[in-house]
Amino acid sequence: MSKLERACIIDDDPIHQYGMKILMKKLNFTEEILVFHDGQEAIDALLDLLNTGGQLPSVIFLDLNMPIKDGWGFLDDFVKIPHHNREQVTIYMVSSSINPSDRQRAETYEMVSNYIVKPVDEDQLREILREESV
Amino acid sequence: MIANQVSLHTFPVSVALLSTDLSFLDFSGIWLENFGLSQNIKGKSFFRSMPKLPEELQLDIQYCLDGVGERCDSAKVTHEDGEVVWYEWKLNTVNTGQDKVDGVILILEDITEKKLEEQLLKKSLEVARIGGWEVDLLDNTIYWSKITREIHEVPEDFVPNLETGISFYKEGYSRDTITRLVKEGIENGASWDTELQIVTANGKDVWVRAIGEPEMVDGKCVRLVGTFQDIDRSKKAEIAYKLVSERHARATRTAGIGIWEYDIVNNDLYWDENMYRLYGVKKSDFEGVYSAWESCVLPEDQEESAKAVSDAIAGKGDFDTNFRVRWPNGEIRWIKAEASVMRDENGKALKMIGVNQDITELKTAQLQLIQSEESLQGAFENSSVGMALVSQDGSFIKANQSLCKSLGYTSGELSRLTFQEITHPDDIDIDLSLLSEVINGDRSTYQIEKRYFNKKGQVVHVFLTVTAVKKINGELSHFISQIVDITSRVEASNKLKGLLELTTSQNNSLLNFAHIVSHNLRSHTANLSMITGFLLDNEISTEEHQESLKMLKRAANGLDETIAHLNEVVQVKLEAGKKLRKISLAKTVNKVLKDVSALITENRQQVLVNTPKEVYIKGISAYVESIVLNLITNAIKYRDPQKEGKININITVEGNHVVLEVEDNGLGIDLDRYGKKLFGMYKTFHKHKDARGIGLFITKNQIESMGGAITVESEVNKGTIFKVKFLKAEQV
Repeated sequence: MSKLERACIIDDDPIHQYGMKILMKKLNFTEEILVFHDGQEAIDALLDLLNTGGQLPSVIFLDLNMPIKDGWGFLDDFVKIPHHNREQVTIYMVSSSINPSDRQRAETYEMVSNYIVKPVDEDQLREILREESV
Repeated sequence: MIANQVSLHTFPVSVALLSTDLSFLDFSGIWLENFGLSQNIKGKSFFRSMPKLPEELQLDIQYCLDGVGERCDSAKVTHEDGEVVWYEWKLNTVNTGQDKVDGVILILEDITEKKLEEQLLKKSLEVARIGGWEVDLLDNTIYWSKITREIHEVPEDFVPNLETGISFYKEGYSRDTITRLVKEGIENGASWDTELQIVTANGKDVWVRAIGEPEMVDGKCVRLVGTFQDIDRSKKAEIAYKLVSERHARATRTAGIGIWEYDIVNNDLYWDENMYRLYGVKKSDFEGVYSAWESCVLPEDQEESAKAVSDAIAGKGDFDTNFRVRWPNGEIRWIKAEASVMRDENGKALKMIGVNQDITELKTAQLQLIQSEESLQGAFENSSVGMALVSQDGSFIKANQSLCKSLGYTSGELSRLTFQEITHPDDIDIDLSLLSEVINGDRSTYQIEKRYFNKKGQVVHVFLTVTAVKKINGELSHFISQIVDITSRVEASNKLKGLLELTTSQNNSLLNFAHIVSHNLRSHTANLSMITGFLLDNEISTEEHQESLKMLKRAANGLDETIAHLNEVVQVKLEAGKKLRKISLAKTVNKVLKDVSALITENRQQVLVNTPKEVYIKGISAYVESIVLNLITNAIKYRDPQKEGKININITVEGNHVVLEVEDNGLGIDLDRYGKKLFGMYKTFHKHKDARGIGLFITKNQIESMGGAITVESEVNKGTIFKVKFLKAEQV
């Protein structure tokens, strides 16, 4: 398993952000972690990154419920990014919601790989890392 | 001498014997009688005794005395007074010796009467247009009198024979009949008397009466004699009369009109055929007297009908009455009777002539009408449905008890009102427009659900059916309104609707709670789970353990806070339906502004309040305060730092509601994006340190629990207006 170049966490909950960072560090998940508090902040930053010739993160952990722009809003904006730039990006929806309708809705987005119910644990992250390495 | 030989006295003719010196020698009793003379004329001069005799008689007597054996003649004398007297006489000379005239026998008769009769007959034959005819079968000659020719319209010199005579009869029945009759007459000597039609020489159809009498000699007919009478006018009149009377009889029979005539003097009651039919009596069973009629009349009606008869006879008015008769089979029929009274010159009543008519059907229909009117009236009065007769201008002509009860007015009070005056203003237009369609004839009826105000001013819900009533000429007369009071139904339905709304809102709350539990509570428990995982993980550094403990505290607090919020919402829900009190909205606003004055000053907000003095709402004071506080602090919190902050607070009255508007010129909200979520729990739309997404959720719940509503208008970077509708409380 090789370390990822860049991963991204979009979540307004500081506890979740903290937990994810701890887990990634422990698993040696990525070189760099980008953290955003809402969808708008995230999309703005990612577009900036592209404009400055940067590389998009290979994995995005996206929360559903956020102020300003929630997870769905982010996805709606993200699909507008030219395909060749985002085709290497894997998005995981991460939510505390166990509401089945949220999972079903997530499945309608082609670029969403999986729907993970919080809390995210070590094994799940390890599995993701393995898949990404392959 | 002669006189002594035979006495003329007993001779059965009017005869006298005159001497040569023309004095009476003898005379018969009849002579005296005929000429009004007495015995003492004997020996007296004939001409002196009877001066007014025709001159011709004097001459004839003279001739006889001169030797002419006999004379007979007749002549007339016109008296000075113009009277004409006809005499007929016969004279014979009386000779006792040879060539010596001893006297004359004179038979003299006054034939004036006979002569008159003769003349009259002739005249009457002419007038009656009776002609004569005669056929001599031996030489086959035929004679037609002048009138006969006239009837046939042939010239005077027309010479008929038997065949031409018959050929004048109209072809068909008339000619066939006369041919047969003449044949029978000739063969059997049978006479005839018949009425037939001829066609005159001028082609005119004429009715004639033909009488024929054969003369038989040794069983053989030698002659036919007869008369021929023009009866065209009378026959045609007769035919016409027959037609008329048949028509009349048919008409009266069809109309069921019976004609009767009552001879008061002789108590003789005549009925025509129809009368028997009307009374169901056989002609043979009816005695034709007054009491026979009376016995047909129903006993209950006898007194009155007898009085009508006696009144009419006494001249106290026309006979025009109705009574019932009982038929022999027990059936009872109504008869209408009318009559006139005939009187003599002294005014004494002689006869009554009148008509009877069976009016049973009419009477039955009348009775049924009365009954149906009575039952309609009863139905109108006692119906559980409110009913009213309404005039074209909308005023109540008549209202039944049920309607009075629904509206709380007496029927007298209603009659001074129009339906427009007591109709709910929101319902008047539709009612009037439908009514005008009825007035214009576009429809004959309509039904609507509408509201009236009762006498106390309370709303009465009704289901109204309006039907037009027309006059006989088709013009609109008035309306019948049927009004079903559905107030209790509507109230029950509203209550049900309320319950349904409550249930729906509770269901929504439940869903919301499910969501809150699935997301908001879970997010905390997920955090707790993750953090405790780190704490138990030995591979994690001490610093990270310390940090994890802080995070654990934070997660626990978050959970606590969420539970507190949920409790608050549950409380609001539980408080719903709590008794609302009268609250001054203006005072509440001022109190809140005072409480947050520091915040306002700090953020340099300009606040304008525009409110009527006395405005009261129905509410729970803690909620109202919380709502106002939340809206004002929101306005401050989401101000636009680039602008000078302005907050306008307006309070207005809209019908039964009081509207609170809080308007800011702040950041605004993208409603297309967040409109649905705006009042949801834990929804925030601004990057703000204090945005917690709980305020509007609680606010909305509080407002709704007081029967109000909240709406929002907003534009990003322009500002936001929150409008809160409260129930208005009465001033008193």
